[in-house]
Amino acid sequence: MRIVAVDPDACVACRDCEYACAFRQSGDFARSASHIRVNFYADERACVPLTCMHCEDAWCLAVCPAAAIDRDPGTGAVTIDATRCAGCKMCLLACPYGNIHFNAETGVSAKCDLCGGDPMCVRACISGALRYVDAEELADLRREVVDASLKRLLRLSKGVR
Amino acid sequence: MHVVIVGNGAAALSALESFRGHDRDSRVTLVSGEQGPAYSRVLLPYYLRRRLSRDGLFIRRADDYARLGAATEFGVRAEGVDPARRVLELADGRRLGFDRLLIATGSSPMRPPIPGLDGAGVHTLWTLDDAVRLDSVFREGARLVVLGSGFVALQAAWAARQRGLQVSVIELLDQILPRVLDPAAAQILSERLHACDVEVRTGTRAESVETDRGGRVRVSTSGGDRLPADAVIVATGARPNDQLLPECLEPDRPGIPVADTMETVVSGVYAAGDVTRGPTARGGPREIHALWPTAVEQGRVAGANLAGAGRSYGGSLSMNVTEMFDLTVASLGQFVEDEGDDVFEEHDRGGIRYMKIVTRAGVPLGAIAMGAPEGAVLLGRLRPFVRHRRALPDLPAFLAREDLDGRLAHRSAAKERTSCASLQ
Repeated sequence: MRIVAVDPDACVACRDCEYACAFRQSGDFARSASHIRVNFYADERACVPLTCMHCEDAWCLAVCPAAAIDRDPGTGAVTIDATRCAGCKMCLLACPYGNIHFNAETGVSAKCDLCGGDPMCVRACISGALRYVDAEELADLRREVVDASLKRLLRLSKGVR
Repeated sequence: MHVVIVGNGAAALSALESFRGHDRDSRVTLVSGEQGPAYSRVLLPYYLRRRLSRDGLFIRRADDYARLGAATEFGVRAEGVDPARRVLELADGRRLGFDRLLIATGSSPMRPPIPGLDGAGVHTLWTLDDAVRLDSVFREGARLVVLGSGFVALQAAWAARQRGLQVSVIELLDQILPRVLDPAAAQILSERLHACDVEVRTGTRAESVETDRGGRVRVSTSGGDRLPADAVIVATGARPNDQLLPECLEPDRPGIPVADTMETVVSGVYAAGDVTRGPTARGGPREIHALWPTAVEQGRVAGANLAGAGRSYGGSLSMNVTEMFDLTVASLGQFVEDEGDDVFEEHDRGGIRYMKIVTRAGVPLGAIAMGAPEGAVLLGRLRPFVRHRRALPDLPAFLAREDLDGRLAHRSAAKERTSCASLQ
């Protein structure tokens, strides 16, 4: 399956992804409706867009007492069936990444559904920080990043710049 | 191999699915005293509140069991186990041989020793039948007395209030929700209940319940009052349905003790869910954690091990969340401090009315959040630290990163309706 991969180094905190998602969710540009959230840390000069990773072993899906969370057979996305959700908020407590939100107007939990396979956040991203990639390809990407930082650390430990 | 699962709730279903992840071929039979595909007990108050239809309570379809390759025996109680012959005895006289057995029989409402609880006007809210019965009792203007103040009790009270009943809650201890909240949080919720015209009597014992010939009820309290009511709901906690195999039990202790593998002392017999006394995430003595997430976790481990996967359970971590009277109420782990623990407290920050995090040597042990739903999200972010005892040295920085002031305040401002407004 494909997921939204995030490269924090490329993110410029423009929040266009949030606006795109919010518009898709609510037809409005109130960022509070967005499922993707750009965390902006001024002191560290870092910004990290966070959105559902559609975990292979999704705890929110397993724990939902209403069986309202399922995996979309087409996209593999972990999705919430708003007609089944009772609004108990167990999934909010279950997600270790804080990527499920509660829609106070409708009284149900809401999260990224990958826009049915064409994520608007990725479309709106201006810096290439968000990419819709195969999960396996992402593992390779991660390995490259880890390799690079390992090399950097090794060089540092040997006093090489 | 023939695997028999007794139960049809969170633990049983999770075990069945987990077992099939490891073993697609063995025969599985699922036995349940109740009829039909599984429904969610957790959702019953939502049905009474008219948030869900009766159909919305069911969490499995009839054909889901066949899809998972499980034969079902619904509406047949399991009466006992012959551990030597490896046979499960059913109430209709049949005997079901097994190679491995999972006891996931759940729990039942506790019946406190109060005279008169067998009267016609006295109810519990535990089964679908209970909920359907209560649905016809919930008539506008009727008077309801709720004994107990746990999640079931208060959710029943909220549903009743929303449907226009007059509601009194009687709690023996000095605070409501004693297992879920600390006194300060309980006080905030109590005030909300008062504001919604729910009468809360803490530190009060129900001495007796009398039902007259017309079906009207009177509850006599330790305060010397006699409360007239149309119905009483007893919701003073649950006790495990642990009598299927007494050989598994310790003398005079409820709950089937299990190893980290979820196996009981009887080889090849496992237990999961409300019926078990299992390992906890913080170590120490085994405990009964009769909570939905615990049942799912234990069922997963038990199901894998029924197939011989050799899994070990990391222990249960209590996590509670619900909405009551339009307040999100959530707690996690150990939220009452011991001596030497540090306490981080916030009042009225963003949409959070009250937040408390207990830490020891920088490691968060537990937390409470009340108010906006974002509190539950925050506790979810905190949960891995609590479960894996990971230090979080700079808690204020963590909270700042969670943007508690900014977006939270912004989000909660959208919902400025009070619970009482929504009652009208």
